[in-house]
Amino acid sequence: MLMRLAGGRIVDPAHGRDAVGDLWVQDGRVVAPPPAGAPADATHDVTGCIVMAGGIDIHSHIAGTNVNAARLLLPELRAGDAVASVPVTQTIGRLYAAMGFTTVVEPAISPHVATQAHLELADIPIIDTAILAVLGNDDFLLRLLERNEGKAAVADYAARVLGGSRAIGIKAINPGAAAAFKSNVRRFGLDDAVPGSAITSRAIINTLQAATETLGLAHPLHLHCSNLGMPGNAETALATMDAAGGARLHLAHLQFYAYGTEGKRGFSSAAPLLAEAVNARRNITADIGQVMFGQTVTVSSDVLRQFNARGQAHPRKSVILDGDGNGGGIVPYRYRRTDFYNAVQWAAGLELFLLIDDPWRVFFTTDHPNGAPFTAYPDLLALLMDRSLRAQHIETLPKDAMEVSTLAAITREYTIGEIAIMTRAAPARLLGLADRGHLGPGARADIAVYRPQADRAAMFRNAELVLKDGVPVMRAGQPVARPAGRGLAVRPGFDAAINRSLAAFYESTYGVAPTAFDVPAAETVGRAAPFETVPCRT
Amino acid sequence: MTEPPAVTRAGAWVGGRAVSAPEAVRQAAGLLGRSRAAVVAGLGTDIAGARASVALAQAIGAAIDHMDADAALANLDVMRRAGWIVTTPLQARTRADAVLLVGPGLPAAWPDMVVRLALHDPPALVPDAARKLFHLGPGTDGPLAGAIAIEAPAERLLVPLAVLRALAAGRPTSLDSTAAAPLQNLAAALAQARFGVAVWAAGALDTLAVETLCGLIDDLNRTTRFAGLPLPAANNAEGVMQASAWATGFPFRTGFAGAVPVHDPWRFDARRMVASGEADAALWISAFAPTPPPWGDDVPTVALVAPGTEFRTPPAVLLEVGHPGIDHDSMLFNAALGGISFAAAASPRPTARVADTVAAIMAALQSC
Ligand SMILES: [Zn+2]
Repeated sequence: MLMRLAGGRIVDPAHGRDAVGDLWVQDGRVVAPPPAGAPADATHDVTGCIVMAGGIDIHSHIAGTNVNAARLLLPELRAGDAVASVPVTQTIGRLYAAMGFTTVVEPAISPHVATQAHLELADIPIIDTAILAVLGNDDFLLRLLERNEGKAAVADYAARVLGGSRAIGIKAINPGAAAAFKSNVRRFGLDDAVPGSAITSRAIINTLQAATETLGLAHPLHLHCSNLGMPGNAETALATMDAAGGARLHLAHLQFYAYGTEGKRGFSSAAPLLAEAVNARRNITADIGQVMFGQTVTVSSDVLRQFNARGQAHPRKSVILDGDGNGGGIVPYRYRRTDFYNAVQWAAGLELFLLIDDPWRVFFTTDHPNGAPFTAYPDLLALLMDRSLRAQHIETLPKDAMEVSTLAAITREYTIGEIAIMTRAAPARLLGLADRGHLGPGARADIAVYRPQADRAAMFRNAELVLKDGVPVMRAGQPVARPAGRGLAVRPGFDAAINRSLAAFYESTYGVAPTAFDVPAAETVGRAAPFETVPCRT
Repeated sequence: MTEPPAVTRAGAWVGGRAVSAPEAVRQAAGLLGRSRAAVVAGLGTDIAGARASVALAQAIGAAIDHMDADAALANLDVMRRAGWIVTTPLQARTRADAVLLVGPGLPAAWPDMVVRLALHDPPALVPDAARKLFHLGPGTDGPLAGAIAIEAPAERLLVPLAVLRALAAGRPTSLDSTAAAPLQNLAAALAQARFGVAVWAAGALDTLAVETLCGLIDDLNRTTRFAGLPLPAANNAEGVMQASAWATGFPFRTGFAGAVPVHDPWRFDARRMVASGEADAALWISAFAPTPPPWGDDVPTVALVAPGTEFRTPPAVLLEVGHPGIDHDSMLFNAALGGISFAAAASPRPTARVADTVAAIMAALQSC
């Protein structure tokens, strides 16, 4: 079937296109315009609307044992309701699709519990999903490092884990800290070593960066640094950027590291410093993890940080898991508009968005649900595009908080084109999804159509029309079809010798076979279609 | 559209009379489709079965319950009231230098526990560490032999746990020094652990005892590391709870009659719903064992059960289902791995899966 989206403003930065015109779709793909006069089988008149590729979220905690523990810990947050900080599977797909997002990456899955994550993701309708596999606190990797088994062995192991857990990339979360915490270490920085070894966080980061390059993964190492949330931790983020050398590194939720020690309370925004550092380093990408005010729950595999944050729980309860590899912690939290620290966090995130000058290297996240639920995206987009809206908010926030931030002085407003880069073109490139994030011929016809209005948040909350694989799935925020989503994963090759050493270690240490943790075929986890293989570069 | 799966191979009866499976499915759909307040109970099934059952309950506005809900919710109630610090079987096995076994029922809850947790070996990932074993509970023989035992009756574990918590925190207790001595020694040993793990079986401790034990664990983490290892309840209760949570936001004992799900462990207790006459139909699922529902003909019941299940009175509709992980491939919560994992059929047989049977009933609802 040949479909025409007629008369919209097509914003496709990957092809330098921003002009009114028609977009043609056939068999789930964008196609070149047919010869003049060829009739469409269906036409959607989108005159006056903005037409973009479907949005891609590179970092949103939507599945897995930690997220599900948050649902069970917090019945009062009512995950079953339409808008919740940890919505249920059916709602996740619908709410993302309503905003025009069609691909979402769950960024923190420990390989030993990847199966549950995939079962959950398979239950999410409409949108395509993927996971990042967490390495860096796992016993086998630490053993490879301790024994100096070499880069090839680490790369083989990483490939084995990526395949077994059906992941799209590698995440490291406060590498070394979760292992150290099991030995009762309560603070762990970039150059601290896992007790009983000489392995530092820095060494783990560099090792996993190297494995990423060896395997030719499109997605760089996705790193959650040490010292999250602590005053003065901008120094940690800067040191980590330096530690990366010239190699690619993605820094997750940079806002949570954008803190200095200025001001009367010894807590300030250091976002300008970090933005400058990111601007100067072409090898660095970052997502923000914007804070928005309201009740949420923090769900993190940084078990040490979550353990230390238990005192701030609201309501007053938390779950801490000393898991295989990272484990994690669930700490409910309420960001308050009247709270000095929360206001600084809010400002620091916006400063990073506005001061990092390359929209290809800054990514749009709230670290859902850690900074805010993903349902806050429309409000955040509006703030980025409208300085007067920001000024209105600043008026309502503690003055002393605004004094330790430069936000009020920043005049930049994101253009629609920059939004399209940050939420579409750049994420597709960062994840190696060649047929997503753009609207050129051959692109997957995941398409979002927005009707411009004075209230930009309203425009982004309920897209006028959303196509998934060329099929209309949402109209003005209402679902019109609920196709199954698709799972995306890499499958790098590796030397099978690693299977033998892995099996020997697992049998002698854990008494189980490593294959016990492998995620079975798509059909077995409840997916209608096989996993789509994301190619490696080698 | 996917065709409703064939369930024709299963044994099927309506009112005690053998019928074809499609006929039984039609009767089941009629009964459940007409109900105004049904309960989907038992839920002894795998992940696919749980997902299908929850979807059916949502479709007909029924409530869901699990046959081991009391045990599973005793733990969950502590978790969601106060929070907890827990670990996995693999971490307990490889790192615990002190293991505190609490209460009765451990070998029954997990027959392989001693071997899987390597309780009699030193922790593999902690160089030069020995492993100390303690058992606070009734009985000191059997597989837990070798543990330093502090005898305590199964029904009165709260008292020694509360005393132990007080002693570990350096608070006075009401016990005299002779009576307190074993617990005092235990408290000292737990405080000296570098990574201690307390193990208990779901349902063997009441909620207050679990809460006290978790409070003790929390206190110990002020100075050292300690974590709990609650063993999952039977009949894949943990797996079903996880699936229910991601699909609905709540565990079992949740009703779907209104616009939003309502979770109420008292109100949606299937036994209570049947006894009070609130439930006008029931779907009873028990695929792991031939367990009949705990009610007779008080409520018209569709039973999806293992072959050989004996009923006091024949259920309205009976459909046999296979054993997940034995008769057919399955996804189940695995106590040894501490998570949901794939269980290949141990001896594959052509039997009906709960998921397929429920899906067939669901598909037949439309034509009723
Ligand atoms: Zn995150």
